[in-house]
Amino acid sequence: MRSSVFKLAVAEPSDIIRNGLAVLLKRMPGNRISLVEIPDMARLHERLKAERPDLLLVNPAMLGCFTLDRLKEECGCASMKCVALLCSASVPALTKPYDEIVHLYDDELQIRHKLSHCFESAGEEGGDTPCTDEAQCLSSREKEIVICVVKGLTNKEIAEKLYLSTHTVITHRRNIARKLQIHSASGLTIYAIVNKLVELDDIKDI
Amino acid sequence: MHKIGRYSETDKMSDLVADHYSMLLVMHRFGIAMGIGEKSIREVCKLNGVDCDTFLTVVNFLLDENGALPNVSKCLSVETLVDYLQRSHDYFLKFRLPDIRRKLKEAIAGCPEDVAFVILKFFDEYASEVNKHMQYEEKIVFPYVRSLVHGEQGLKYNIGIFRKKHDQIDLKLNELKNILIKYYPGPGSNLLNSVLFDIFSCEKDLASHCLMEDRLFVPAILEIEKP
Repeated sequence: MRSSVFKLAVAEPSDIIRNGLAVLLKRMPGNRISLVEIPDMARLHERLKAERPDLLLVNPAMLGCFTLDRLKEECGCASMKCVALLCSASVPALTKPYDEIVHLYDDELQIRHKLSHCFESAGEEGGDTPCTDEAQCLSSREKEIVICVVKGLTNKEIAEKLYLSTHTVITHRRNIARKLQIHSASGLTIYAIVNKLVELDDIKDI
Repeated sequence: MHKIGRYSETDKMSDLVADHYSMLLVMHRFGIAMGIGEKSIREVCKLNGVDCDTFLTVVNFLLDENGALPNVSKCLSVETLVDYLQRSHDYFLKFRLPDIRRKLKEAIAGCPEDVAFVILKFFDEYASEVNKHMQYEEKIVFPYVRSLVHGEQGLKYNIGIFRKKHDQIDLKLNELKNILIKYYPGPGSNLLNSVLFDIFSCEKDLASHCLMEDRLFVPAILEIEKP
């Protein structure tokens, strides 16, 4: 499961349904979800354009004659996942373009399952394979790169030192950030010191 | 009915604060002291010279955890809002972050010296980032807004610049929290837990501070900038 914050928009005019969903979503373990509530369907376009969520939960009936693809295109959210929120029986054709369907009477576990599925498939589009043993799974190459970063080397310098392309270094750094959930050089420094990858003397002048 | 949110001016101020203790901070940032007795929100605001609409807009915005876009009322006092933001900055820079640093230093005294050194270094770098972020607002954005409100012409700034530039400042605090939880090598202690709790609450507080600037402050200024 990806570690960064997932932006999820709920477009639903009913206060009861929207807030109920918000409660369930907040209870989902391990997911950092940032929730965008869109109660006013007339402002759906405007809000999607401004927020660009990773996932949209919406009742297909509310979209009227708008097709989902057109909505995504017009709001600049081409890669946004869409989940249909069904409160009544619906023609299958209406829900076909959606990535997932949540029914009003689904229980919490079902909803959690369906959404996790969407999160995962959205995360995989980055091309990274999920890693099960998060803390231990830095490869020796990644550890080398951590050491360089901590010593204050630029991507270009790291590339030269390790005989890699700058592009590869950037990819490694992205993977390191994702695995450790550490994005800053000073955060990596703490990691490196704690795990004895470097000595304080190596980095004290930086 | 114009819906401002959950609380209205006839509700008792003491009820608001008793229901949501985080509103103590908000009261203080508006310059309202404790000892509010049985007075309503309207009365307390009036006594303290605080614009009641602005107070309620801020309160209801912060209480709406999901960050719904508030209706920015035309009668919102931008000057009151700027004073509020300014006081929030003072709180973070002069009290909250130094307080966390002091507690953090004490809490990690038991772990290896090199680890303690890099943890504090991380925190200091973070604090100086927050300082820079807030200084920009105080030196550039707030003076601009004050001039704008006073009807000055030919100003060379607009709030759109701020909107583009404004970034989140709570992420790195979240990182520190993660690092301590996952990799802290020293023994656990009540002190360390306590400082972690402080970091959790400061992170949340900073996030909602930034969200308020984006969703309340910026739209209010955009409204004034309209020709």
